[in-house]
Amino acid sequence: MRVKACGVAAGVWLAAVGGAAVAQEAEKEEVSPLDPEAVEFYGSAEFEGSVFAKEPAFAGQNRNDFSFAIEPTLLAEWFNGDVALTVTPFLRWDAADDRRSHFDLREAKVDWRIGDWELTAGNDFVFWGRTEAQQLVDIINTVDGVEGLDEEEKLGQPMLKVTRLTDIGAFTGFYMPYFRERTFAGEGGRLRASIPVNDGDAVFLNGGGEWDPSFAVRWAHVIGDFDVGVHGFHGVSRDPALEAFQFDGVGRPTALRPVYDTISQVGLDGQYTSGPALWKLESIYRFDQLDGNLERQDYAAITGGVEYTFFDVSGSGADIGLILEGAYDSRGDAALTPFNEDVIGGVRLALNDEQDTSFLATSSVDLESGASILRLEAERRLVDGWKVELEGNAFLGDSSDDVESSFQDDSFVRVKLIYFW
Amino acid sequence: MTETQPPVGRSGGGGVEQTSVMRAAEAIVRLRWLWIAMTLVIVVVSALGLGRLTLDPSARVFFDPKNPDRIALDRFETIFAKDDNLMFVIAPKGGDVFTPEMLALQGRITECLWRLPFVRRVNSLTNFQHTYAEADDMIVRDLVPDQPYGRSLENNACDLDLDAVAVTPEMAAEAREIALSRVELLNSFVDPDGEVAQVQTLFKLPGLNKAQEVPVVAAEALALAEQVEAAFPDVSVKLSGAIMINNQFAGAAQADGQLLTPLMFLAILVLVGLTLRSVIATFMTLIVIIVSSLAGLGALAWSGVPINSVTALSYLYISTLAVASAVHILASVRQTMPETEDRREWARRALSEHMVAIIVACVTTAIGFLSLNFSISPPFRQLGNIVAFGVIVSMVLTLTLLPALVTLLPMRRRLVAPTAAVFMARLGDWVVDNRRMLLPGMALMVVLCGLGIQRIVLEDDFVRYFDERFQFRKDVDFIEAELTGINLLEWPLDSGETDGINDPEYLAKVSAFVDWMREQPEVTSVRSVTDTIKRLNMNMNSDDPSYYRLPKVREEASQYLFLYELSMNYGMDLTDQIDIDRRIMRVSNAMTGVTTADMRAFTERAKEWLSVNAPDLTTGPDGKRDPTGLVHVFNLISERDVKAMLGGTVLALVLISGVLLFVLRDVKVGVVSLVPNLIPAVMAFGVWGYTAGAVTLAIAVVLAATLGIVVDDTVHFLSKYVKARREGKSPEDSVRYVFRTVGMALLITTLALIAGFLVLAQSGFAVNGDLARLTALTIAIALIADFLLLPPLLIVIDRMMHRKRSVDMTPSKSAATTAALCLALPLAAVLLAPGTARAETPEEKGLAIAVEADKRDLGWSDIRVDGEMVLRDASGRESRRTYENLFLEVPASELGDKSIIVFDSPRDIRGTGLLTHAEIEPKDDNQWLYLPAIKRVKRISSSNRTGKFVSSEFSYEDLGAQEVDDYEYKWLRDEPCPGAEDLTCFVSESYPKNQRSGYSKRVSWTDQNEYRLMQVEFYNRRGDLEKVLTFNGYQQYLDKYWRADKLTMVNKQTGKETDLISTNYRFKTGLENGQFVSQALPRMAR
Repeated sequence: MRVKACGVAAGVWLAAVGGAAVAQEAEKEEVSPLDPEAVEFYGSAEFEGSVFAKEPAFAGQNRNDFSFAIEPTLLAEWFNGDVALTVTPFLRWDAADDRRSHFDLREAKVDWRIGDWELTAGNDFVFWGRTEAQQLVDIINTVDGVEGLDEEEKLGQPMLKVTRLTDIGAFTGFYMPYFRERTFAGEGGRLRASIPVNDGDAVFLNGGGEWDPSFAVRWAHVIGDFDVGVHGFHGVSRDPALEAFQFDGVGRPTALRPVYDTISQVGLDGQYTSGPALWKLESIYRFDQLDGNLERQDYAAITGGVEYTFFDVSGSGADIGLILEGAYDSRGDAALTPFNEDVIGGVRLALNDEQDTSFLATSSVDLESGASILRLEAERRLVDGWKVELEGNAFLGDSSDDVESSFQDDSFVRVKLIYFW
Repeated sequence: MTETQPPVGRSGGGGVEQTSVMRAAEAIVRLRWLWIAMTLVIVVVSALGLGRLTLDPSARVFFDPKNPDRIALDRFETIFAKDDNLMFVIAPKGGDVFTPEMLALQGRITECLWRLPFVRRVNSLTNFQHTYAEADDMIVRDLVPDQPYGRSLENNACDLDLDAVAVTPEMAAEAREIALSRVELLNSFVDPDGEVAQVQTLFKLPGLNKAQEVPVVAAEALALAEQVEAAFPDVSVKLSGAIMINNQFAGAAQADGQLLTPLMFLAILVLVGLTLRSVIATFMTLIVIIVSSLAGLGALAWSGVPINSVTALSYLYISTLAVASAVHILASVRQTMPETEDRREWARRALSEHMVAIIVACVTTAIGFLSLNFSISPPFRQLGNIVAFGVIVSMVLTLTLLPALVTLLPMRRRLVAPTAAVFMARLGDWVVDNRRMLLPGMALMVVLCGLGIQRIVLEDDFVRYFDERFQFRKDVDFIEAELTGINLLEWPLDSGETDGINDPEYLAKVSAFVDWMREQPEVTSVRSVTDTIKRLNMNMNSDDPSYYRLPKVREEASQYLFLYELSMNYGMDLTDQIDIDRRIMRVSNAMTGVTTADMRAFTERAKEWLSVNAPDLTTGPDGKRDPTGLVHVFNLISERDVKAMLGGTVLALVLISGVLLFVLRDVKVGVVSLVPNLIPAVMAFGVWGYTAGAVTLAIAVVLAATLGIVVDDTVHFLSKYVKARREGKSPEDSVRYVFRTVGMALLITTLALIAGFLVLAQSGFAVNGDLARLTALTIAIALIADFLLLPPLLIVIDRMMHRKRSVDMTPSKSAATTAALCLALPLAAVLLAPGTARAETPEEKGLAIAVEADKRDLGWSDIRVDGEMVLRDASGRESRRTYENLFLEVPASELGDKSIIVFDSPRDIRGTGLLTHAEIEPKDDNQWLYLPAIKRVKRISSSNRTGKFVSSEFSYEDLGAQEVDDYEYKWLRDEPCPGAEDLTCFVSESYPKNQRSGYSKRVSWTDQNEYRLMQVEFYNRRGDLEKVLTFNGYQQYLDKYWRADKLTMVNKQTGKETDLISTNYRFKTGLENGQFVSQALPRMAR
């Protein structure tokens, strides 16, 4: 288990700064200055078992996996909730992959609202995405790569965030003094590239390393049935290039290391809500992204599609949603994502029963290679406080895509039993 | 005499008061001879006073010295002569008043009228001061000259011998030509066709003996009229004017008294005789009544206040009211008869059972009448005091003399219980059985009747206070139809300076005002000196018609008037037209065929004209432009009195309610009693509005006067009800008990009262008639309300209070600080359907209800509430969800409100937030879902109407913010609210306008008091009943907003249920719009 000490330190420091500010403000009020009005402690703990269909493809990988994770949250509020301290550490222990055993401060922040202004200091994460297949526009937080294929789990990003809500939308500025490196599956873990990525040996081409600050601005607004967002980003790319840096005797690479560089990005995202149909779009244009050859390259990527829901099918209460999205990346196969020229289709079934049972089946097809990934997610509450999640992935066909091809033999079923308190 | 122990069984749960009542009853019976002596004293003292009674026969008795209109009138009459006029109108059957004979007759009449006492002046066609030019001289002469005016002044006899008068046909023709061309005469002294003519007499009454002067003058005028009609059968004479009006006020009182008194006693005898079936009992009742009435009149006499046309009937009010108390005692005696032979026991038992109720009834009645002291019309104040006094005397007599008589007079003992009691018991059963139907039915009746109030018109044409049975009224109608209006508005136009009336500018304005008034359709004639001045100007310019205009120079006008006055005969001058300072000129206009409202409207128009065209002309020192005159005071008196009586009525209500509370010792019942006390008057006014419409100033005092009367039945009813309840009877049985025990007495006394007031209603004097009719109507309705509305109301409220009390005992409830509906807030705001009663069609009413409900739920600005949702399947298995709900009111009606719901449990969805910006149908709402696990805010489709919200039985449609315009409505009926039968609900259907709705219709029950939704039935697209939503535990927040603690939705198809339980309602917490945007959702959901 490795602790990202620096990241944590940064988060704690920022939180402390924020806390001091709160304390100062509170003292002016003279009324029990530091006693929060509300303190809540809640969170979840999960047991996870993964069963893979095939033997591991690469040396060192374990066949199956068992894992435990805990994510408690401490929340304290002052001034009618205008000031809030949130601390959400995350800890995972994994039987098969020591890199997957990790700790993160998902959140360690102070939120402070002053009228239309909102200030956040500390570790936080931010979601801008619209589409279902992937979220191109989400650039603030680095993916917590060991957590899952869907890249929905992200690392807490230390930041100073200022938001101003106006009649013409919300304007947000981000100052991110510290960069969080992406996590990669270790040698023993499945769902990794053929050569393991040794994230401890990350290289920063930007000079400042992890302490190189990043900046971002975003404008988001709701105009009638349109939700739109525009962002700009300058700073360390959350997507590293991978460079072989250890070789065996015959010159074959035995280890990869992530290489980070400074990029700039602009992006546009939006959703048009038309009755039961949601039309979604995410697009970015990124400057100076390192490609596989460690050369800086500009590229564009776009994801868009529609989600159409049939509500209350036959009066059963269940909703069936159809998802159809396309993804394009101007880099083609060289892209570091699984989605470069893919079509993603899916069906979402929400039973809307008392257990909130739902299913999501998606299939993404690479238009060039014809390879596809079938994915099934299901979840259901057992009793209050207990929930079971099921995840299945099947990788079908030969993929020319580097990333996907590495997973060729990693079709799996994963079951999570989660306890909430 | 042995001490008989009071029958314990009858007095049940008695306390201190019960036994003290018995002790008092015992004492009263023992001291019976004392009461008889006391009565004799009352009779003697009162009778001695009667000789001092005087009559004030004047219309002005209705004017309080402080009435501002009266003050203005007094001022006017000090400046100009106070005219008590007499209109002596002749209408020859030949249809020509300008024949030599008729002109001669008018001359004779003119002279005869001069001989009447107190005459100041007589005006007629014949002595009209005709002016004309002869050479350079201006001649002023009588229109029909050579009248032997004052010829036989020394001879008191009036001589109608026409031979002595020489009116030639030429003179007659000339008179016709001149008279019909003069605005001064036309439509006031003669009609345009020359068929009817007036001889006007002005009197100056010394006012030393009011009771004598008017009748004497009127009698002589009537004698002269008779003399004329006898001597000239072809001529009919009509009399009117202030003298005759005032005389009529006196005459009406006498006529009423002569007609109504025997009628009243007959009615009482018949009613009491029939019910008590005993001559002796009837006789005893009569004694009580007569002595009470006598005492009332005696008190009036000793107070020295002259009686008037209203107070003249006060003893009849006392009689009517006294009957009720007496009947109660005697009916009780009748019921005791079969049980014992002991007459004293009859009296004791009657007293101990009814003493408190009778005291309360009489005291409240007295309070009601005493509150008439708030009236601005002295006759009502006097009436109130006399009646109150008489009622108290009747109370004392009923409780003392009457029991004494019972023990002393040989009343025959009857052994059979009155059969009528069986009927009352049946009525009681029927009322209890049908209470669910009665309550809303009666409520509807109340509303329907109440609507009639707006049709009531205040009508105080005082000359028409008298109905057609009076010759005076017929004459008035004839004169108004054929000649001129009786109602005179006086405009004392102030020039603002001494001698100002000579100012040509002022004269021009007055003249313009006169011209304007002559153009008005309701005006028959206008009298003004400006006409005289114009005429004089013409005469001074050799009768050149082009000079028929106002002089251009101030001095000319002055000289003309001076010359004119110099040339006039004795008694003729301009002092009744122009004030002594020559500063104010009087303009009078007569109107015909007008109601009080018309006259008020005309007054306003005229004032408006003055303020625009002659802003510097005022009619009073206060700069106002109001006219004056007797009729003007009457025009405004009802409104003034209604306003004045408001305070008195409220005071009476408070005092009477206080008495009730004290007596009943039960706040709940006391409050409920307001319903049958107030509703009758409201309904009576409404019925009056539908039927008669017009009402005199009597209406102002009706509510206060009847309050004290109708409360009697309520007292009897409620005291028996409370007693039964305290003995442990159920509300239903208590009602039955009331009907059995006092039902008959209530019926009889009320019938007696109604009969009495119906007799009073026969008064030919509209003020008395209206008061009596309205009172009779009110009492009748009060009985209906007491029998049909009060019992169901009591049962329902008793049941409700009982239920509430048991609920309160559960600790969870009492601990709960506040609570109400949560998610369903928008639901409640909009589903609320029923409407105000004014809507005409069911659709309009349905919409009106929805609008009203919506209106009542405005202004809450923002709300936070904690909610719990309990899902229950058919087998009873439960699962729960808790959440906080935040609402932000968006004032603009074209925008829906905003809300956020944040789930707290189940714990796996903790922090999940849903932001909704409501839109008006058929547009979908805007919704954003916040998923805390990945911090994602996702705009989601809100076109899901029928789906279940978090698998509850509430669909998204049920919970979405809904606005009035989302539905079409139709009111169906009113009925007791489901689950709260004490309340009446509007039942109405609403049909969603949006085709995607999961429902074909919803039927909602909304309580009529607070417009709270009580129940909603949801019918699916197939038309089947799918779900039923009930609302429980309403609480009111900020004194305005009603929220239910618990909503329960039951799916009738699947048997599943969902409760929405709301706690910790917080209103106006300062939530802002900026917190209800999607960007703020993550923080809000925290």
